[in-house]
Amino acid sequence: MTAVSSLVWFDGSRLARGAGSAGRRFRADPRCFDETPIPGCFAHVCALVDEDAALPYDDTLVQQARRDALAWWIPMLGPAYVCVTTLALDAVRFGGAITVARDARAFQSDPFARIFPGTVVPTDLFCEVPAPGGPVVERYSGAAWPGGSFAPRPQRQ
Amino acid sequence: VATDALAPGRRFPDLQLPDHNGGSRSLSEVAGGDPLALFFSRGWWCPKEQRFMHGLVQLQDEFEVAYARMAVVSVDPPEVQAAFRAGLGARFLFLSDFERRHLDQLGLRETTDTVHSPYRPATFALFPDLRIHSAYNGYWYWGRPTHEELRQDMRAISREIREDWELP
Repeated sequence: MTAVSSLVWFDGSRLARGAGSAGRRFRADPRCFDETPIPGCFAHVCALVDEDAALPYDDTLVQQARRDALAWWIPMLGPAYVCVTTLALDAVRFGGAITVARDARAFQSDPFARIFPGTVVPTDLFCEVPAPGGPVVERYSGAAWPGGSFAPRPQRQ
Repeated sequence: VATDALAPGRRFPDLQLPDHNGGSRSLSEVAGGDPLALFFSRGWWCPKEQRFMHGLVQLQDEFEVAYARMAVVSVDPPEVQAAFRAGLGARFLFLSDFERRHLDQLGLRETTDTVHSPYRPATFALFPDLRIHSAYNGYWYWGRPTHEELRQDMRAISREIREDWELP
């Protein structure tokens, strides 16, 4: 789960992947990088570079933002939706979230921006991932988003 | 549920249907390694369905912290499901068989409604691999599972699939 391919770095204005990239390191949902990336997208990065900017996943703010994402945020994006992932710092701490869409028009409504302010970043890093089915918002071990499974993930390089 | 193919112990077909956003989903993907409560529903117009769905919205608070999934299948088109879901305040998935591709395959066509040709209300508690743990025929409202019965089903499935059910 800590393989490089699920890691993403944010320096306040840009997203990068690959060990040694500049900025703060987060763990995203690895499925966001499993397939061919979609070029020309926009990422709404609701995270800060300050290492202290973190909350427990169990914090009610985080839980409610995840509920809102399932209830109306993802449906609101409609066909523009590409993927969404929370950003895990470790097994228990939430560092933010990234929503990726084909256009940035709806980003001002992002429920995760209530927690950490959002930055719009043009990106070619992310692939399309089916939205979480819901209503599950809980995961073991800080897995970044509840769309996964308890089944062991294949080993990633 | 009358059809033998959908009896406890059998495997539910891994249907592939558009969700309320229009994206294609398979049941196995929706289950995602968790128990799945699968509800076949007539549609938004039926007052019994409206009442039952309001109840499920109350229950979703438990499902979302208990590692279990819920999904509703109806013949409503995705855009109607999306509006119905938003009005309910649901956070679970709706799947649309607006083309009525699986009604007869599953033996769940409500033949007494020739206006809408909907699904007959039925509920299935499924293991993550879509094996059927229990099935309910909801043609009469009282045939539907109560919240307590759903809790018992989710408990039984979880006890079987969670290796750490009994703490090491």
